[in-house]
Amino acid sequence: MAVNGRIEELKNAALSAVRGAESTAALEDARVRYLGRSAELTEIKKSIGTLSPDERKEVGRSANLASREIEGALEAKTAQLSAGEREERLRAEAVDVTLPGVPHPRGNLHPSQRIIDEVVDFFVGLGYGVAEGPEAETDYYNFTALGIPPGHPARTMQDTFFLDDGLVLRTHTSPVQVRTMLSQPPPVYVVCPGRTYRRDSDPTHTPMFHQIEGLAVDRGLTLGHLKGTLAAMARHVFGDDVTVRLRPSYFQFTEPSVELDVSCFRCGGSDPNCKVCKGAGWLEMLGAGMVDPGVLEEAGVDPEEYTGFAFGMGPDRMAMAKYGIPDLRLFFEGDLRFLRQF
Amino acid sequence: MRVPLSWLREYVDFELGVERLVELFTLHSQEIDGVYRLGVTAGEVVVGEVVEFGPHPNADRLSVAKVDLGGREVQIVAGAPNPYPGARVPVVLPGSVMADGTKLKKAKLRGLESYGMMMSERELGISADHGGILLLDETHEPGRPVADYFPVGETVIDIDVTPNRPDLWGMIGVARELAAILRTEFRVPEIPYEAGGEPTGAFGLRVEAEDLCPRYDLRRVSGLAPGLEAPLWMRRRIHAAGMRPINAVVDATNYVMLETGQPIHAFDAAKVHGGIVARRGRPNEKITLLDGTTRTLDGEMLVIADEERGLVIAGVMGAEDAEVSAGTTDALIEVANFAGDNILRTSQRLGLRTDASGRFERGLDPNMADLAMGRVVGLLARNPGGDVAPDTLSHYPEPVQPWRVPLRLPRAELLLGMPVGAEEAASRLGALGCEVEADGQELAATVPTFRRDLRREVDLVEEVGRLIGLDQVPEELPGVPQPGGLTPDQQRRRLLRRLLADLGLSEAITYTFGPRRWTDDLNAQGGAGAVRIKNPLSAENGNLRASILPGLLDAAARNKTFGLRGGAIFEVGRVFAPDPPSRALQGAALKFRMTGSVDALGPDAEPNKDSLMGVREEESVGVVLAGTIRPAGWNAPPVRAGFFEAKGLVERLVPGATFAPDAPSFLHPGRSAVVRVGEVKAGWVGELHPETAEKFGLDGWPVAAFELDPGVCRPDVEPRFEPFVSVPAIARDLAVVVERAVPVGEMAASVQGIGGLLAEVRVFDVYEGDQVPEGHKSVALGFVFQGERTLTDEEVDAEMARITAHLDERFAGRVRS
Repeated sequence: MAVNGRIEELKNAALSAVRGAESTAALEDARVRYLGRSAELTEIKKSIGTLSPDERKEVGRSANLASREIEGALEAKTAQLSAGEREERLRAEAVDVTLPGVPHPRGNLHPSQRIIDEVVDFFVGLGYGVAEGPEAETDYYNFTALGIPPGHPARTMQDTFFLDDGLVLRTHTSPVQVRTMLSQPPPVYVVCPGRTYRRDSDPTHTPMFHQIEGLAVDRGLTLGHLKGTLAAMARHVFGDDVTVRLRPSYFQFTEPSVELDVSCFRCGGSDPNCKVCKGAGWLEMLGAGMVDPGVLEEAGVDPEEYTGFAFGMGPDRMAMAKYGIPDLRLFFEGDLRFLRQF
Repeated sequence: MRVPLSWLREYVDFELGVERLVELFTLHSQEIDGVYRLGVTAGEVVVGEVVEFGPHPNADRLSVAKVDLGGREVQIVAGAPNPYPGARVPVVLPGSVMADGTKLKKAKLRGLESYGMMMSERELGISADHGGILLLDETHEPGRPVADYFPVGETVIDIDVTPNRPDLWGMIGVARELAAILRTEFRVPEIPYEAGGEPTGAFGLRVEAEDLCPRYDLRRVSGLAPGLEAPLWMRRRIHAAGMRPINAVVDATNYVMLETGQPIHAFDAAKVHGGIVARRGRPNEKITLLDGTTRTLDGEMLVIADEERGLVIAGVMGAEDAEVSAGTTDALIEVANFAGDNILRTSQRLGLRTDASGRFERGLDPNMADLAMGRVVGLLARNPGGDVAPDTLSHYPEPVQPWRVPLRLPRAELLLGMPVGAEEAASRLGALGCEVEADGQELAATVPTFRRDLRREVDLVEEVGRLIGLDQVPEELPGVPQPGGLTPDQQRRRLLRRLLADLGLSEAITYTFGPRRWTDDLNAQGGAGAVRIKNPLSAENGNLRASILPGLLDAAARNKTFGLRGGAIFEVGRVFAPDPPSRALQGAALKFRMTGSVDALGPDAEPNKDSLMGVREEESVGVVLAGTIRPAGWNAPPVRAGFFEAKGLVERLVPGATFAPDAPSFLHPGRSAVVRVGEVKAGWVGELHPETAEKFGLDGWPVAAFELDPGVCRPDVEPRFEPFVSVPAIARDLAVVVERAVPVGEMAASVQGIGGLLAEVRVFDVYEGDQVPEGHKSVALGFVFQGERTLTDEEVDAEMARITAHLDERFAGRVRS
């Protein structure tokens, strides 16, 4: 039958056009041409109604089969071509992955503040509060309340900056402890970080520096509690492997007084040329002791009922040890070549 | 305190390497500042007798000697010319090691073999004398080791004595301490002498200033042989202990001071008129001291005088007048005790600190005088040889007695956190010189007067603890009965610092004091005045900072000179302002500052303690952006410091802040703003005025900065859930032309306020130029509208019409088509 032959021709032409298409656009052209509204095959389908029932059935069937076959071919070819085209596009979109990303520059925290934050976090975790007090302090809180009355030799050990009459730049953060004890009854567990001042300037001393002091007053506190607390603190800051030792010392407001050394976190004492401990195996870390009963009494606390321990450390020197900083004077110059390393 | 170990061994036996000795002292007593070596540390030094001595054939400055080392003759080349045939000399043999570490070898000097070396006093560690070879007397037998006569090498440990332990300023005290650590005995060999010289009583003694002079003892040694030096062993020890040998009499006084810690003074009796008077200085009294300076005394200084003139500023330094000298044959020996605080005051007043004043100011034991006097006169009787007076003049009206201190063992165990046995505690305290009675768990120690630091129970606890060993103290953690934490202010400052660092800024810490120009150059604050330091390190740095800015600007300028291209730094810290109390409160203020107590103003009014401090101290956060704060990237331009970079940071730190012109005058008048939170002024932000930049050495760099009260910052905001609808929002844009002076921020805020369906307003462009009339600008605004249900175009159009009308009415804004 002539119509069926034409359908066969159209189908073959369409399939060959689909096979030969090289882009999804060419495929779309082929689809419009062979299956579109005004395509010949579509026209044939529309004219089926004018045919005899017998023809109608046969032509209808072969036209539908041809359409389906062409659609199938189109679909397969589309998938094939668009996959290739996507790949092509991705290839074209490739970037140099070694170029730097959009910068989100990291800022810096000052090395002394890093140590202060670490130490404060440790004590906060134990249940300590954090107290602060004025840097321009009264003579009484800075000296007398700590057992250093006017004329006492210990005053000459602390080169003091004097302000207005009776005011000094605090030489230590101890007055904060006194203020704390006067303002609250025991138990007291507090650390006091802050800036302190001494009239001293040479390669190993700056006239401003930091201290962190701590104070615990409670029933039954012992030197063992002091040692255990500070050993745990040292491990928090310098690593789990360090050990501590106590040495006798002398401070005006503690009795017994001790100094605490931390084993060298770098060499553990095994390297005679160690840059951190200079071969000593120990780093002098802080001064401490049991709060002198006279200081407790001055603060209105009964030393028979309560005992306490106090300690003071220098976060600047701790930072020097921990980060390998050779010169204290670098700390307070605002030199970005220094600050950007932390 | 420099302790020569060979000297220490005179009082206490120990078999310890120096390292172990240092460790024991460190762990049980005092820190050791250093270990020094003198003389010959290893090898052999023998007595030689010079057989021949003559010039070196090949060198003008050298000599050559033949030396008999006890039957063996060797040739030695020498640099010094003083040996002579028959002289006895110390010879160090090849292979020996000197204190500085050099090892002596057989050598050829200018063609001649030299076997070892003849030694000077310095090379043997006897004194600083290097003028010639040490000549030994006839008692030294050729061939015998010199060490048979005196040590040829010395190890000295330098003890860093804490101020509470003046007893360790003497060898005897150190020996007692070591014996206590080692649980062994120590001894003080006696120095016997016979009395029988001219009586001390031929002179008078009068102590007028009893309060400044608790004890004064005087004893005469007459018939001294003039012109002698101290014996070699004594000079050697004095030198090793760090002092300079002078003459036989002075050296004996210094030697006993080094032994006992007690300073001793010797007068030439021939030059003392009438007697010794201890009195206060007289108005305008002058005294010329041994160091050649003339000092003017005041009425609080103690003078040791004779009936005519001042001889010594007591405990500090003597005058030339009555000092012993090489020719002295009759001496008055002073062993005295002076009030420590007065000596401290005098030496501070005069700016003169001496070995003696350093000892007296710590408070010495007046009972030490007996031992010290006995030893010094005994030594003088031996050398230079003299007759000790039978009598001692002594002023000691109130003898100090040993005192009893109780010690409860449970108390010791509580403080130390370790078990303390009664026997152990008693024996430890006994070793320190206490007499201890025990009654079960209660001890009572009678404390020797040389341990003035042991007054209270707790003082004894410390002694027992350190001698047992602090290594025995266990490591324990107390149960802290409270939650810890930062206060809200501390937490805020912590977050603020972290946030600024996360935003790419570097935290600086700068000095809180600085030069006057800090306030002068920030001209806005020039007149306000700064808190002054009375005794700054340099006149240059005498002001406490009133702002964080100048320190950061100085830092930025330093970074500029270092060649950096810029940076962003911040600091959180205190600023200070004078806050003098009212005239009526000035007395109360001084009392509060000195004593901590506050007088009531009336029946129920007490002044606020803060108002008596005189200084207002506040936390502040400062930021300086300078130069290029972020370098160009391959796909991004560089970021340079500018107003909006700084403002953006402020907006991040203080959400909801408002900005208005009227900032301080050190800022660019057109690029600066006051920052407010509600009605409260929170700080300022802006670019630096070019004049300010120039003054701080920052010209050529753009600089923007801000300073805020950290209390208003909200680096983190307590979140609160707001319900939201999930129907899509609709966005529209609008460009409006307004006069240039119209503040865009106000436009945006004003539009935001009209409410209705408008959810969000954003400024996305501001344009001046073509197509915009002169003196005007085009502001592009983006709007987001949000309803409960999907909005229709008509609804949004109506809202846009409202906005257009509002902009026209408020800002004469015309929509640009």
